[in-house]
Amino acid sequence: MTVTTESTTTTGVGRVARVIGPVVDIEFAADQMPDIYNALQIEVGEGEHARLITAEVALHVGDNIVRAISLKPTDGMRRGARVIDTGEPISVPVGDVTKGRVWNVTGDCLNEDAGSFEVTERWPIHRPAPPFDALEPKTQMLETGIKVLDLLTPYVQGGKIGLFGGAGVGKTVLIQEMIYRIAHNFGGTSVFAGVGERTREGNDLIAEMIEAGVMKDTALVFGQMDEPPGTRLRVALSALTMAEYFRDVQNQDVLLFIDNIFRFTQAGSEVSTLLGRMPSAVGYQPNLADEMGQLQERITSTRGHSITSMQAIYVPADDYTDPAPATTFAHLDATTELSREIASRGLYPAVDPLSSTSRIMDPQFISHDHYEVATRVRQILQRNKELQDIIAILGVEELPEEDKIIVARARRIQQFLSQNTYMAEKFTNVPGSTVPLADTIESFKMICDGEVDHIAEQAFFNVGGMDMVMANWDRIQKEG
Amino acid sequence: MPASLRELRQRRKSVMATKKITRAMELIASSRIIRAQQAAARTLPYTRELNRAVSAVATYSRADHPLTRPGGTPRRVAVLLVTSDRGMNGAYSSNVIKTVSQLRERFEEAGAEVTRYVVGRKGIGYYGYRGLSMAATWEGFSDAPTYDRAVEIAEQLLEDFLTPYEDGGVDEIWAVYTRMESMLTQVPRVRRVLPLEVVEGVHAVGEDTVLPLYEFEPSPEAVLDALLPLYVRSRIWFYLLQSAASQLASQQRAMKSATDNAQTLIERLTREANQARQSEITQEISEIVGGASALADLTEEAN
Repeated sequence: MTVTTESTTTTGVGRVARVIGPVVDIEFAADQMPDIYNALQIEVGEGEHARLITAEVALHVGDNIVRAISLKPTDGMRRGARVIDTGEPISVPVGDVTKGRVWNVTGDCLNEDAGSFEVTERWPIHRPAPPFDALEPKTQMLETGIKVLDLLTPYVQGGKIGLFGGAGVGKTVLIQEMIYRIAHNFGGTSVFAGVGERTREGNDLIAEMIEAGVMKDTALVFGQMDEPPGTRLRVALSALTMAEYFRDVQNQDVLLFIDNIFRFTQAGSEVSTLLGRMPSAVGYQPNLADEMGQLQERITSTRGHSITSMQAIYVPADDYTDPAPATTFAHLDATTELSREIASRGLYPAVDPLSSTSRIMDPQFISHDHYEVATRVRQILQRNKELQDIIAILGVEELPEEDKIIVARARRIQQFLSQNTYMAEKFTNVPGSTVPLADTIESFKMICDGEVDHIAEQAFFNVGGMDMVMANWDRIQKEG
Repeated sequence: MPASLRELRQRRKSVMATKKITRAMELIASSRIIRAQQAAARTLPYTRELNRAVSAVATYSRADHPLTRPGGTPRRVAVLLVTSDRGMNGAYSSNVIKTVSQLRERFEEAGAEVTRYVVGRKGIGYYGYRGLSMAATWEGFSDAPTYDRAVEIAEQLLEDFLTPYEDGGVDEIWAVYTRMESMLTQVPRVRRVLPLEVVEGVHAVGEDTVLPLYEFEPSPEAVLDALLPLYVRSRIWFYLLQSAASQLASQQRAMKSATDNAQTLIERLTREANQARQSEITQEISEIVGGASALADLTEEAN
C-alpha cells in the first residue's frame, strides 16, 4: 500500500489535435500511447507566459488519439502544442508536509512558496480501495454535542456521514461546526476537501481554523467552483489520498471533510457529456453509480485506523429522488437531512428528524435508553405530522385529548431540537453549547414523559441542555 | 421537496373525502338548527310563567324554605356543565370547560369545594382523561335533549342539594351552559340555579301596575314545595335546549370553515400535483430528445 510510483521518465511526446473546452484530443505515436488516467502535461504559451497544463487521459478514441480532460482552463492552447506523457497518474504530496498547508488538485501548494518546504513522498490519486479483510468491523458512536445529531442520527466513529440539504439550509455552516467541534477535541489529523463550492467559504474556513488552532493538524485541498470540471472531479481523490497516507502509513485516525460531494457528481456529468457519453437518467453520466462507488469505497476505516468522513451533499431543487443524492445515500452510515421547511421556521440546525437516519440507530450499538427515547421522539413527531392535515382542516380543538398532548409535546420537541452552535454565534450572538449525550437523552425523556408540559414553547428555542430551558422559563415568568 | 405525483393525488383524494363529510355535516347542522331553535323558543312562555309564579311566592310570602334560603358562604358547590357528545363543533365544548375552570378557581379562592355534574361525552372525556372527579354524568342526548332527561338531572341535583353538607351534600347549584345569542354568537353563561336568586321588585315595575293578588293554599311552604322542583326542571330543560341549539350553530360554523380550509388545501395540492406532473413530462421529453439526438449524432458520424 505504501508504494509510490517511481518512474518520472517521460515515456512519450504527442501533439494536441483538437480542443473543445476542457476536453483535449492528443495524438501520440502508436507505440507511445499513454495509459488511461495518466497525467499529461501540455505546453501552453510562449516565452514568459509559457506554462504547463495538466490533463488526465480519459479515453482512447482510436487512430492513435487519446481524449484527455484538462485540469486547468484551456485558453491559449493551440493545435499542435507539445504534450508530454508523465507515465503516471496525477500524484499529490503526502505525509506531514501536507499539514497546515493548502493544496490544489495536482498537489501544488497554494499558500506557501514551493521552495520553502520539501516534499518527500507523492502518491498517485487513483488507488484501490482496501480489501475486505482489512476493514474495521467494530462500531462505536461519535459524540458531537449537538442534541439532534446525537439523539436521532448518532454518528459512527470511522464511518461516513452525509449532510443532505438544498441550497442555503446550512450545510456548510454545519460542516464548519463539526470541524470546530470534532477537530478541536480530536488528536488526529483532519483533511478538508473543498469541491466546487464558494472560494470565499474556503477562505473563511482557513481563517477559522487558524483561529481555532487546528490548522497545524489539517491539510486542505481546494478545487472550487471556478475550476474546470476535470479538477472538481479529481480534487476529492487528492484529499482522500492524503488522508489514506495518514491512515495507512502513520496509523492515525483521520477526519475527512468533503464539501460538497454533489459537485463531484456534477463535474462527472459535465465531463461525461464532453466525452460524448450518452446521458442517462436526468442527464447524469451513465457511470454515475460506479464513479461514486470508486470514491466512496476508498473512504473507509481499516483495522485500528479510521477515516471518519463527513460529506455535505447538495440536493438539487430539494428533490431527494434526484440520482445524484440518491446514489450517495447507499454509501453512508448516517444521513442527516436538512430541511427547508424547518430552516424557514428559524430552527437551526435544520435537521429533519424523521428522514435523517443512522446505521447504528439500533439497540445493538447504542444504549437501550437512547434507542427508546429516540424512537419515542420519532413517534411523537410522526404522529404530529399525520395530524397536521386534520389540524389544517378542522382546527386543533377537534383533536382528542391524547392527540392534543402529542401535538403540544411535538412542538416542544421541535423547538428543543434547535441548538445554539458555535458557528452561528456570529448570526445570533448566542455562544454555542455542547450537550453530553446522557443529558440529551434525559432531557428528551422528560419531554416525552410530559414532565415539562407546563413550560412555554419559546423556552425550548435555541438552547443547549434542559438547565438552559429552565433558566429561560424563569426569565419568561419574571418578565410575564 | 417536490413530493411524488401519486402521493399528492392520494392526499388530495383524502382531503376531498374529508371535505365531503364536513360539507354534509354543515348542511345537516344547518337544517337541524332551526328545529332546535324552535324547541328552545317553545318552552319560553312556560318558563316565563313559572319564573313569575316562583318569584311571586318567594316575594310575597315570608316563607322560610330551604330552596330559597341563602345559605351564607357556600362550602361545597355543584356545577352543572353542558357539553356536546361529539366533536366537530369547533370550540363549543372547550369554551364551556374553560368557563367552568374559571368558575372553579373563583370558588376555590373563596374556600369552596367544587363538584362537577357533567352532561356530554366531551366534558366527561376531558375530566376523565385528567383523572378529575365527577359527581354525576349524563350522555347521549346533547344535540336532541328530552324533558325526561332534564327531570333526571334535576332530581339528582335536588337530592344532593337537600342532603346536608356533612353527608356529602352541596350548598349551591350553578350551571354553565351555552346561550344561543344568534347564529353567529354563542356565549357560555354561568347561572346560579339554587338557592333562588330572588330579585325583589322585578315585577313591581311601574306604580300603576296592578300587583297580582296571591293567596297560597294550603300554605306558601306547600306551594313552594310543589313549585320549586318544577322550576329547577324547567331551568335545566331550558339550559339543555339552549345548549343544543348553540351546539348545532357552532357545529354549522365549524364545519363551514372546515369545508373552506379543505377547499384551500385541495387547491394547493392540485397545484402541486400539476407541477409535479408537468415536471415529470418535461423531464421525460428532454431525456427522449437528448437520447434521440445523441443517437442521431452517432449515426451521422458512422455515415
